[in-house]
Amino acid sequence: MFDIIFRNITQRKLRTGLTVFGIALGIFAVIVMGGMSEHFNQTFDRSISLTADKIRVFPEIGFGGGNLNESKAREVKRVPGVADAYGLLQAALDPESLGFFGGDVVIGVEPEKFPSLLKDTKLSEGRFLTVGDGYRTVLGSSVAREFNLKAGDEMQIKSKRMQRTSSITHARNFTVVGVMEYTGSFFDNGVLIPLNIAQKFYNRGDTVSFILAVPDPNVDAEDLSKRIELNVENIKTFSPEQLRKQIEQSLIVFTLITISAAVLAAIIGGLSVMNTMLMSVSERTKEFGLMKALGAQTRDILYMTMGEAAIMGVLGGICGIIGGGALVYYLNDFLASKGTVLFSVTPRLLVIALVFSILLGVLSGLYPAYRAAKMSPMEALRYE
Amino acid sequence: MNDPIVSVRNLSKTYMQGKIPVHALRDVSFDVDKGEFLSIVGPSGSGKSTFLSMIGLLDKPTTGSVFIDGIEVTKATDSDAPRIRREKIGFVFQHFNLIPTLSALENVDLAMRFARVSKAKRRERAVELLTQMGLFDRMNHKPSELSGGEQQRVAIARAMANHPAIILADEPTGEVDTKTRDMIVELLHGLSENGQTILIVTHDTAVSARTKRIIRMLDGMIESDTKVEGY
Ligand SMILES: Nc1ncnc2c1ncn2[C@@H]1O[C@H](COP(=O)(O)OP(=O)(O)OP(=O)(O)O)[C@@H](O)[C@H]1O
Ligand SMILES: [Mg+2]
Repeated sequence: MFDIIFRNITQRKLRTGLTVFGIALGIFAVIVMGGMSEHFNQTFDRSISLTADKIRVFPEIGFGGGNLNESKAREVKRVPGVADAYGLLQAALDPESLGFFGGDVVIGVEPEKFPSLLKDTKLSEGRFLTVGDGYRTVLGSSVAREFNLKAGDEMQIKSKRMQRTSSITHARNFTVVGVMEYTGSFFDNGVLIPLNIAQKFYNRGDTVSFILAVPDPNVDAEDLSKRIELNVENIKTFSPEQLRKQIEQSLIVFTLITISAAVLAAIIGGLSVMNTMLMSVSERTKEFGLMKALGAQTRDILYMTMGEAAIMGVLGGICGIIGGGALVYYLNDFLASKGTVLFSVTPRLLVIALVFSILLGVLSGLYPAYRAAKMSPMEALRYE
Repeated sequence: MNDPIVSVRNLSKTYMQGKIPVHALRDVSFDVDKGEFLSIVGPSGSGKSTFLSMIGLLDKPTTGSVFIDGIEVTKATDSDAPRIRREKIGFVFQHFNLIPTLSALENVDLAMRFARVSKAKRRERAVELLTQMGLFDRMNHKPSELSGGEQQRVAIARAMANHPAIILADEPTGEVDTKTRDMIVELLHGLSENGQTILIVTHDTAVSARTKRIIRMLDGMIESDTKVEGY
């Protein structure tokens, strides 16, 4: 039967082409949007796994709103069960940017805390910061790529300081001493500088943005998080679990938006298959009547029409995957030179896209096929 | 004697054209014996095609029954009907009704596909039939590349494919010239000589004159049923 299906598809080249194109566009959207969502999920997963063992301590008034004195780190460290605690200062690399997704971030950290912060992240060149380093920096891989910097180069960093009603922008050259390997986490967009330099450069006195508390081995991070909150005043803690939930929530919204856009596009593709199938079925009404007179069963006719729809679905799916994959590949390549990567086309996504395209073809072929199969042979034969 | 291959008993069909009932068939009964070559004639609208579609299970009668090989086919369910059509009936239409995208060979082949005949057997039978119809060298042509007479011969080959108990032909010569008509009638005649039961609906007296029995219909009823001498 397959050869007959194939014959019918190739017979109407333009129409088949347009339909396949409709599906391809839908699947293209699934790949591009899905790829974006997959990428954010992956970055999130890797970032979480790099910092999953640590508790975040924020000033009570909220993220970055209040001031958190460095001395709080010592208080946190005194809580039983805390192995280590240290402050980090965070600022957007580009002071004009809003610090949205994927923006580069300057992180001030005491050089001796590097191993704790970055775990086993390796350097692709140069060295880490050491105690006593001045205006020196270690770059995340994406930042290094974006600004085309190597160990030994100079990098200009700007800071914006508020002075009463106006703000003054300062700029300083930092010497790149090392570049980190690609981690797939937000550290790729990090510009690491010594904490004391960061405080001076951003005019933050001896405050930090937040404190990381490392629990002793075998201490439950959730319990410890609550204990820190009870023992240290004017702070709020975020256990790894809370953090995960917090980020997951914002990711879900993002994922929903991207997925519904993709699904919408795909449904439009599906409608185009349905339209084509309805047309081709009503055109062949007499043919189906004849087949019934020859003894075709309902399922023979269903098989032929559904097969046609499914094949168009698969063809569209393959074209969409190739097209979407190509666009994502070139976009990623282009964006990499700008320091970010936006899409990950994972095997999971490919499978979803392909299954989706077949389903789309079959589902939208269902109704036309049913109409063809249910026709009375007599009526069909009289049809002109 | 032999049991009839087709028995029609008190067959009636009433169509509704809007709210007006049209009595296309009124209480028709008769038998067809195996190997008979008969024609049904009568004015337009007398119910000939309706009658054929009842025997061929294309439509259900209002009342009455049709038996083929002793089976009451008018009782067949929607799921049984295709099998009965495949095994018992071969259709030949006025407009040939070949599938335009398929070659002559494939058109004949298609009828056997629905009967789940194996590919090798299908091909063998299709080639055999088309050769018998004198179309050996036209097998791979599409219907659009064949003359009317050739198309109708492909249709006859297709009707024969599953060894049907009866061939039902509705004005098979309605769209061909007289020379082609004679050839088609000769062909059908030859098949009937070999024992094939054939029922032709026709307007053409030259066609009915070649058959061995003529049923004349009028207003949905059998007006006369004449067996030709010498049969
Ligand atoms: N599907 C239908 N719906 C309504 N009326 C129908 C239908 N099919 C046939 N009829 C009517 O039934 C009557 C018999 O029609 P039928 O087609 O059987 O005649 P026929 O003898 O084959 O005529 P012709 O020689 O013109 O082919 C006609 O009056 C026709 O209008
Ligand atoms: Mg008729």
